[in-house]
Amino acid sequence: MKINFNFNRFSLKCCSLQPATCFLLLFLASLATLLAAPLPEPISTTTPANQTATQQASSPPASLNLAAFPADSVEDVVVPVPSEIFSVLDKLGNPNWKAQLRVNKTHTPEERSQIALLLGSVIAEGFVAVEAEDAERVKDLGRDVLSLAEAVNVRKSVIARSKSIIQKADTRDWRGVRTEFDGARNDVQAAMDEMNDRNLAQLVSLGGWLRGTDVLTSIVDANYTSDGAELLHQPELVRYFKRSINGMSPRLRKNTLVLRIDKVLDQITPIIEEKNHVITREKIQKIHSLTSEIVSLINTTS
Amino acid sequence: MATVAVVKATVDDALSFAYEAALPYHKQYAFRKDAWGGDLGVNDRQVVTAQLFKGNQYWFVLGSDVKTAVVSVHLYDEEGKLAETESWQKPNDKKHFSAAGAYIVPKNTGTYFAIVQIHQSPEERTHWALVYGYKDKVKK
Repeated sequence: MKINFNFNRFSLKCCSLQPATCFLLLFLASLATLLAAPLPEPISTTTPANQTATQQASSPPASLNLAAFPADSVEDVVVPVPSEIFSVLDKLGNPNWKAQLRVNKTHTPEERSQIALLLGSVIAEGFVAVEAEDAERVKDLGRDVLSLAEAVNVRKSVIARSKSIIQKADTRDWRGVRTEFDGARNDVQAAMDEMNDRNLAQLVSLGGWLRGTDVLTSIVDANYTSDGAELLHQPELVRYFKRSINGMSPRLRKNTLVLRIDKVLDQITPIIEEKNHVITREKIQKIHSLTSEIVSLINTTS
Repeated sequence: MATVAVVKATVDDALSFAYEAALPYHKQYAFRKDAWGGDLGVNDRQVVTAQLFKGNQYWFVLGSDVKTAVVSVHLYDEEGKLAETESWQKPNDKKHFSAAGAYIVPKNTGTYFAIVQIHQSPEERTHWALVYGYKDKVKK
C-alpha cells in the first residue's frame, strides 16, 4: 500500500483497518522516510548558544590580509545607532540622560540639506529621549520626524513609524520605540535612495552621528574614564563621513553647513585616530565643543 | 547609511532568511534595520566594515536563499586578526535557506570587518544578506 501523508486521503484508503493500525503504519513509514533521507555532509561541528545541529564549513583563518579585498567594499562602513553606544555608557556609570535632552522646538529649515541633517539629529535625539524615559519628548520627536520627512517628500515612508513611536511611548515600550526610530531612519534613507538622492541620505547619517557624538562626549566628560573615552575611537567612521562629503555634488560641498561640518571632521580626525586609544578629557571636551556647536547650527533656522 | 550593495528585490528572500535565522537572539539583541546584501560566486568573499564598541556584544547573521549553499561570516579586527568568540554555519538545516552567524565581544572599540563567503553552492551566483544585532537593554 502506498502511504500518502495527506491524512484525509490516507484515511479513505485504509478505512477498513483499525485506527491504531493506520497510525502505526503512518509512523513506520515516516521513520523509514527519515532514515532514507541523506543527511548533510558534516564538515566540522561547534555548539553555539541557542543553536543545534550546527555545521562549520571550515575553520576561518586566524588572520587576513584586508588589503586583498576591493577597496570600495572595505571603505563602506556600517554607521551605528546611538543606542549601541548609550547602552555601554549605562554600564560605565549612571548618566543623567534628562540633562542631555535638547528642549528646543524643532523648526523646519528651508534647505533640503539642513532638513536631512536635522532629521538625523532628531532621530538621534529620539534615542536620548528613550534613555531619559521621557514619553512626551519621544512623542514630540516622533511627530518632528514626520514633519521633516514631509519637507523632503519622504513623508509616506515614515507615517506608520511615527504613529508607532507615539503609541509605544504611551505604553512606555522603550525597546519598541528604539526599534521604530531605527526603522524610521532606515525608511527615510531608503526613500531618499529611491529618489536618487543618496547625498541626502548620507546627511541623515551624518546628522545622527554628530548629535550622538555630542551626547557621548558630554557624558564622558561628566564622568571621565578611559573606557568611556575609548568609545570615541571611531577612525573609520569619520573617514567614511569625510569620503561621503567629498563624493557629494559640488553644490552641496559648497553649502555653508556642509563646509563647516567638513572642517569639524578635519579637526576631530587626528584626535580619534590616536593609536593608543587613550583620548584625554581635554580632547573629549574639544570634540564636544565642536559637535555641540554644529548640532546647534543644524537646529537653527534663519 | 553605508551599504555594500543596495538590497534589491533579488536578495529580499536572503534578507528575510537572515532575520529568520536571527530569531533566537531577538529577545536579547536589537537587530538593525540596515542590511547588507548582494550575490557572490563560489569561494568569493565580501567585506562589511563595522564600528563596534567595547562593552557591547554583537551577533552578525548571514542568510541565503540557496538552501544547499554553505555560507559563512567571520569577524576580524582592524589588524586582520580573527576576533569572534564563536560562529556557526547551517547549510541545509532548514528546508528553505542556509545561514551562518558570528558572535563577538569586542576587546577594543574600533573598526571590525565581517567577511562573508560562499563555500559551496549549486548556483553560479548566490544571493546573501547580512544583518547584525547589538545587546539591548530589555526594559519596558
